[in-house]
Amino acid sequence: MAADPEADFGTPARHGAPVRLTIDGRAVTVPEGTSVMRAAALADAAIPKLCATDTLESFGSCRLCLVEIEGARGTPASCTTPVREGMVVATQTERLKKLRRGVMELYISDHPLDCLTCSANNDCELQDQAAAVGLRDVRYGYDGANHLDAPADVSNPYFDFDPAKCIVCSRCVRACDEVQGTFALTIDGRGFASKVSAGMPEDDFLNSECVSCGACVAACPTATLNEKAVAEIGTPQRAVVTTCAYCGVGCSFRAEMRGEEVVRMVPAKDGKANRGHSCVKGRFAYGYAHHGDRITTPMIRASTADPWRPVSWEEAFAYAASELQRIQATYGRQAVGGISSSRCTNEETFLVQKLVRAGFGNNNIDTCARVCHSPTGYGLKATFGTSAGTQDFDSVADADVILVIGANPTDGHPVFASRMKSRLRQGAKLIVIDPRRIDLVRTPHVEAAHHLPLQPGTNVALLTAMAHVIVTEGLADEAFVAARCDMDEYREWAAFVAEPRHSPEVLEAVTRVPAANVRAAARLYATGGNAAIYYGLGVTEHSQGSSTVMAIANLAMATGNIGRPGVGVNPLRGQNNVQGACDMGSFPHELSGYRHIAGAEGRRLFEGDWGVSLDPEPGLRIPNMLDAAVDGVFKGIYIQGEDILQSDPNTKHVLAGLKAMECVIVHDLFLNETANYAHVFFPGSTFLEKDGTFTNAERRIQRVRKVMSPLAGLADWEVTVGLANALGLQWSYGHPSEIMDEIARLTPTFAGVSYALLETEGSLQWPVTEAAPAGTPVMHADHFVRGKGKFVITDYVPTDEKTGPRYPLLLTTGRILSQYNVGAQTRRTRNTVWHEADVLEIHPFDAENRGLASGDWARLASRAGETSLRVLVTDRVAPGVVYTTFHHPETQANVVTTEHSDWATNCPEYKVTAVEVSPSNGPSDWQARYQAAADRARRIEPAEPAE
Amino acid sequence: MRGRGGAGFPAGIKWRTVAEAAGPVKYIVCNADEGDSGTFADRMVMEGDPFALIEGMAIAAFAVGAQKGFIYVRSEYPDAIAKLDVAIRLAAEDIAPFRIELRVGAGAYICGEETSLLNSLEGKRGEVRAKPPLPALQGLFGKPTVVNNVLTLAAVPHILADGAEGYAALGTGRSRGTMPIQLAGNIKHGGLFETAFGLTLGEIVNDIGGGTASGRPVKAVQVGGPLGAYLPPSMFHLPFDYEAFAAADALIGHAGVVVFDDTADMLAQARFSMAFTAAESCGKCTPCRIGAVRGVELIDRIAAGGGRAAGPLERLPQMRNVNARPRSLEEEIGLLTDLCETMKFGSLCALGGFAPYPVMSALCHWPQDFGLAPAVEAAQ
Amino acid sequence: MNTREHVVAMANQIARNFVVRDRASAAEATARHIREFWDPRMRALILEEARTDAPALSPEAKAAALIAADDRAATAGKP
Repeated sequence: MAADPEADFGTPARHGAPVRLTIDGRAVTVPEGTSVMRAAALADAAIPKLCATDTLESFGSCRLCLVEIEGARGTPASCTTPVREGMVVATQTERLKKLRRGVMELYISDHPLDCLTCSANNDCELQDQAAAVGLRDVRYGYDGANHLDAPADVSNPYFDFDPAKCIVCSRCVRACDEVQGTFALTIDGRGFASKVSAGMPEDDFLNSECVSCGACVAACPTATLNEKAVAEIGTPQRAVVTTCAYCGVGCSFRAEMRGEEVVRMVPAKDGKANRGHSCVKGRFAYGYAHHGDRITTPMIRASTADPWRPVSWEEAFAYAASELQRIQATYGRQAVGGISSSRCTNEETFLVQKLVRAGFGNNNIDTCARVCHSPTGYGLKATFGTSAGTQDFDSVADADVILVIGANPTDGHPVFASRMKSRLRQGAKLIVIDPRRIDLVRTPHVEAAHHLPLQPGTNVALLTAMAHVIVTEGLADEAFVAARCDMDEYREWAAFVAEPRHSPEVLEAVTRVPAANVRAAARLYATGGNAAIYYGLGVTEHSQGSSTVMAIANLAMATGNIGRPGVGVNPLRGQNNVQGACDMGSFPHELSGYRHIAGAEGRRLFEGDWGVSLDPEPGLRIPNMLDAAVDGVFKGIYIQGEDILQSDPNTKHVLAGLKAMECVIVHDLFLNETANYAHVFFPGSTFLEKDGTFTNAERRIQRVRKVMSPLAGLADWEVTVGLANALGLQWSYGHPSEIMDEIARLTPTFAGVSYALLETEGSLQWPVTEAAPAGTPVMHADHFVRGKGKFVITDYVPTDEKTGPRYPLLLTTGRILSQYNVGAQTRRTRNTVWHEADVLEIHPFDAENRGLASGDWARLASRAGETSLRVLVTDRVAPGVVYTTFHHPETQANVVTTEHSDWATNCPEYKVTAVEVSPSNGPSDWQARYQAAADRARRIEPAEPAE
Repeated sequence: MRGRGGAGFPAGIKWRTVAEAAGPVKYIVCNADEGDSGTFADRMVMEGDPFALIEGMAIAAFAVGAQKGFIYVRSEYPDAIAKLDVAIRLAAEDIAPFRIELRVGAGAYICGEETSLLNSLEGKRGEVRAKPPLPALQGLFGKPTVVNNVLTLAAVPHILADGAEGYAALGTGRSRGTMPIQLAGNIKHGGLFETAFGLTLGEIVNDIGGGTASGRPVKAVQVGGPLGAYLPPSMFHLPFDYEAFAAADALIGHAGVVVFDDTADMLAQARFSMAFTAAESCGKCTPCRIGAVRGVELIDRIAAGGGRAAGPLERLPQMRNVNARPRSLEEEIGLLTDLCETMKFGSLCALGGFAPYPVMSALCHWPQDFGLAPAVEAAQ
Repeated sequence: MNTREHVVAMANQIARNFVVRDRASAAEATARHIREFWDPRMRALILEEARTDAPALSPEAKAAALIAADDRAATAGKP
C-alpha cells in the first residue's frame, strides 16, 4: 500500500541508531530519539492525539496520548517520551481509555456543538478524537464556564480566527515559531483564560506581525483557524499536486478542488523544496486566475492607436504569422525575435526558443533572466562550469555560517528563509551584506553576527577585502584548492587580493564598512565550519554583477566550501521557472543545457531532430533588440509572459523600442503595460490551467498539473504550437510530456528526465543522466563540472552611475513579501490589503534635509527621468541611500533607472541609480500622461451582436 | 540529601547528571519561589543566613562545572530580595569566577515548578515544559542545569563541613538528614522547627506545635502545601518520612504543616484546592486548565445539595444523544472522583497532578462534609 | 541610445573589466567575449567604429574589435 504523503506521525522524525521496543505486543524498530507516539504510528498502532503533529516538536499539552510503560509509574504522554531499548508499551488499557474519555469530556464541555454546519465538518481532529474515544456523555453538562462568546477575528483577507472553537493546543503558536519563524502568535493570559493572541490583546491578525503564511491554519486541528474559502465554497472533494507559480522556491501544493473550482491550496508535506510550508502568495493569492481582468479571447489591431478587436484563434495566428513573414521578407531574417517567459513551463519555454530558432531562423531569443540572474549564468559557468546553484535547500540545515549578500529572503523567498531562520536559531552564525537593514539582521531569536551595510555598487570591493583577509591571514584551504582547482590561477588571484590596496582598511573609503567588521566577517566565513553563501539580485543587478558572482565563487573555492551539504554558492533565483527558462536555451548564445550555439555538435543534434539548419551566430539580447528597433532594423517580436515595459530599466528607451516595431505580439494573462504597444494579444493560461514542469532554484524539476480548463481555450504551449503551425512548421504535440521527451533527447543534462520518472520520484534535480539516474542534489562533489575550479581575478571597477550635486542619493530597489515583482498577479488578489502602493524609504537625515515626512509625496529624479511616490522615513536605509519596490505600474519606478548594466551580460544596474528626492504635490506629468495613454491603449471593441 | 523542594529526588544524582553532561555551558538555578501556603523556611534562610545558600550554590557550581547561577525568588519576599542582593555582592569575590544573579518572580505560583521557572528566567511565559528532556540535561537556555530548592543548597555547606556520615545518621528509612518543618495555621506554637526525619505527625502537631491555637480539637492537618493531602488525627502515627507519607497517599512536599480545628469545613477546603489550581494553572494541559474549573463547579453543586438537573441546552429536542436525566449526589461525587483521576494521571505537572490529593483525602476522611453518610468511603 | 552608441559603451566597459586583470590580454579576452555573445550586426558596428579616425573606443576595446573581426572567419567551423 502506497504511503500517504499527508500522514501525520505525531512527532518529527529522528535519525540515529535503531532501538527495538514492543507496542501492544508488536515489535517495532525505530531510530534513537523517536517518540513512543511516532513509533506506534509507524507500527499501525496510532495513539489518539490532538496537540501533537509531526511538523512540530512535541508539546505535551492535550494529554490524550497517555500510555502505560512496563516498569514505569503513572501514565506518561507518548509524544514526549522517547523510545528505549526493550521498552514494553501498552496503548489501549482500560485505565487509558477511561483517562482519554475523561480528557475529551473536559474538551467538549467547552466547545460549540453544531458540528454539522461547521466549515471543518469531517476535517476536524477534535471530531476524530471524540469518535475515537467513544465519547457518549458529557457529565459536566454545558452550563459551566466556557469561551463560546469570544468574538471571531475576520481581519485577515484569507482566513478567519474563531476562538470559540479553540482547544488551546498551541499548534498555531508553535507553527508560527518553529515553521515560519515569525513568532507573531502567543497565548495571552493563563489557566482557563488562556487564549491565542496575534500579539497584544488589542491586535488582530491583520495589524499584527503575522505574515499570512498559513502555517497556523494548516496546523490547527479544528475550525478555529480556517480558510474563508472553505467556509464559502465547501469542503474540497479531490486534490491535485502542483507547483507554485510565484517565486524560485517552487513550493509543492495540493490544489484542493470542488469540480474545477479551487477551494484552497495546501502546502504538500512531501514537497522537497518547501516540506509542508508556504507563504501568503502561493497559499492564498491565486485569485488572479479568475480576476475580471483576464482576457479570454485573442485580439488583434493594425495600429496601437486603435482599440483591440477580439478574433478567433485561427485569425489571430494567421494575422501574427503573416505579419512576421512580411517583416522578415522586408527587413531580413534578423528583424524578428522572441522573449520566453520565466513563469511559463519548461515545455512552453522550449517551444518558444524552438519557434525562434527553427521558425524565425535566427537566435534572437532572450528571457527575463537577462534582468535578474544572467550574471549567475555567466559567473558560475566561468568558475564552476554550471550556470546554477550548487546545493539543494535542505543543505542549509548543515551550515554553520550563512552569508547572505544582496538578498532579502524573508521577503523574496519566504519559505526558504524560514528554513534558514530555523538553522540560525539552532546556533548557526549569520553575516549579512546589504545596504539596507533587512529583516534577517535582527528578527525574533535571530541576530546577524555581522551586518555590513556597504555603499550600493561596491560589492566587488567588499568581497575583495574579505578575500584579502582570508589570504593574508592564512585562512585559505589550500589543500582543497590544490586538489580541486587550478593552482596557478589560485596563486595569481591570491597575489592580487593580497595587495595592500585591497585591504579592508584601504577599501573602507569605498565600501563605507568599518575594516574591523570586514575582518571579523571574513574570519567567520573562513573558519566558522561549513559556510554557505546565498545571494540575490543585490549581487547581479549591478555593472559588475558577473564579477561579483565570480568573486563569490572565488571565496567559496578558496575556503573549501564546495561539494558537500552545508556549503556552496546558492543564487536565490527569483521566478518560479527562471532556472528552467535558462536551462531550456532561452539565451541568444546558448542552446538548451547551456551549449554555445557556435558549437557544431550541439547544432547538429538539434538540426537532426528538427529537420532545419540553425543559425550559428549569437542573437540579440533584450536591450540590444530594443536598440536595434530604435535603429529601425528590428521590427517584430513575440513576447510570452513578460512585461518589459514595466520591469525593464529605462522605460523611455523600452517605449521607443516598442513604438518602433511593426508587430508586437504579447502572450499574457492580462493587458499589461507592454500590451499597450502591441498589435496581437494571445490570452495566456495560469499554472492551474496547464500541465508542464517548473525548475526551481535548486535545479529541481517539479510537475505542474492542470486542475481546470484554460479560460481562453488553449494552454500556453498550445498557443505557441498554433503560431508555429501558422508559420508552416507542422508541429504536433499531444501532451507536454512529449515536449519533455524531446528536451531529454536533445539535452544531455536532462537525458533521464521523463514524466513517468517524475511521477515515481516526485521531483528531479538535474543533471539527470546515466551517472545520476535519480538526479543530483549537490553539485561539484568530486570535481567541478568544468574539471578544475577556476579563480577569476575580479577587480573593483566603480560604476559609471555617479552621485553628484544634482543627484546626491543612491536609489536601490527590492521587493516585499505580499506582492510579487510587477504585481501582475498579486495586485489582482486580496494581497493588495498589505501593499497598496510602492513607497520610497528614506533615512531621517535625508528626509529632514528635504522637508519630507512619512506619507508625503516626493519627486524621485535621475538622469534618466523622474516620477513621484509617497515616502516612508526609516533608518533601515543608511543616510545617502533610498529604496523602493516596483510592484505597481503607477509608480513607474523604471522611468528612473538607467541604461547601465553588467559588463558581461547586460543585466541592468537596477540597484544603483543616482537620484534626488524632493517634495512634490502628487503624481508627475509623465505618470498622468502614461496612465491616460494606457487607458486608451486598453480599449476593446465590443463584441458583434449575434446575427 | 534528597531535594527539599518537594520531589525528594537525590541531589547527588542530579548533580552527577549535570557534571557528566556534554558542553561547556552549565547553570545552577536556585528555586526560591516558595509559593506553598504555610511555608516560610526558604524565606527564613534567605533573610537569616543568605551566605549558606550562596556557598551551597558555589559548591554545586564547582561540582558540575557551571559558570553562572541564578536565584529565582518570588516577588512577595522583599526583605529576602534586599538581603540576597547585598549578600551576593559581598560574596562575589569569594565565589568568583562563578557569578550569581538574582531574579525576581512576578506572582505566579506555577513558576515554582522547575520548568516554568526556567521559562520565566528565559523571559518567556511561565508555562510548564514536558519532561523528558530533564533540566539536568536541557535546562536553562537548553543547557545542563541544576535546579535545587533553597533548603537543599543551604544544607550543602554543612554536610561538607560537618561530614556526610553525621548528616546521614539522622533520619529514618530513606529520608536522611534534617528537615526544617514549618508549623502554621491554627497552631499554638507556630514557626520553624528543624529536626531529623522520623518524628510522627502527632508528635509534630501536638508535642512540638502544642495543638491548635484555638484550643479546639484538631480536625485536619495539611502537609506539603495547598496540594498536600489532609490527614485526620487517626493518621498521626505516620512518621515524617517521604515513603511513609506516599504510601498513605500524602506528601511531605516542602514540609509545610497547616493545622485546622473542628470548625473547618472540608468541602470548602476541597473547593479551595480546586479554585487555587484554577487560579494558578499555567493553562497548558487540558486536565488542569479545564478540569480545575469544572472541579470548582462540581464541588459548588455538591455543596448546594448535590445532584444536577439537566441544563437548558440538554433539554432541547435537537440534543438527541444527550443523557438528559438528572444526576444524583453519588453520581456527582463519582464524577469528581473521575475528574481527580484524570487530573492525577493526565496532568503535565504536579499542580494539576496533585490537586486530587487534598480533594480526595477530604472526601475520603470527612465524607459527611460532602453530604455523604459518615460510613461511606468514596471510591479511590 | 541606438545600437552603435550602445555597443561602443559595452565594448569599453567589457575591456575595462578585463584590463584590471591583465592589460596585455584584455584585448584578447574582450574579443573572445564579443565573439561569444554579440550578434553579427553588433560586431559589424563595433568594427566600423574601430576603423574610424577617432573611435570612441578605448585602446583595448578598439584592439578587441579588430581581433574579433579577424578571427571570425577562423572560428566559423569550431566544434
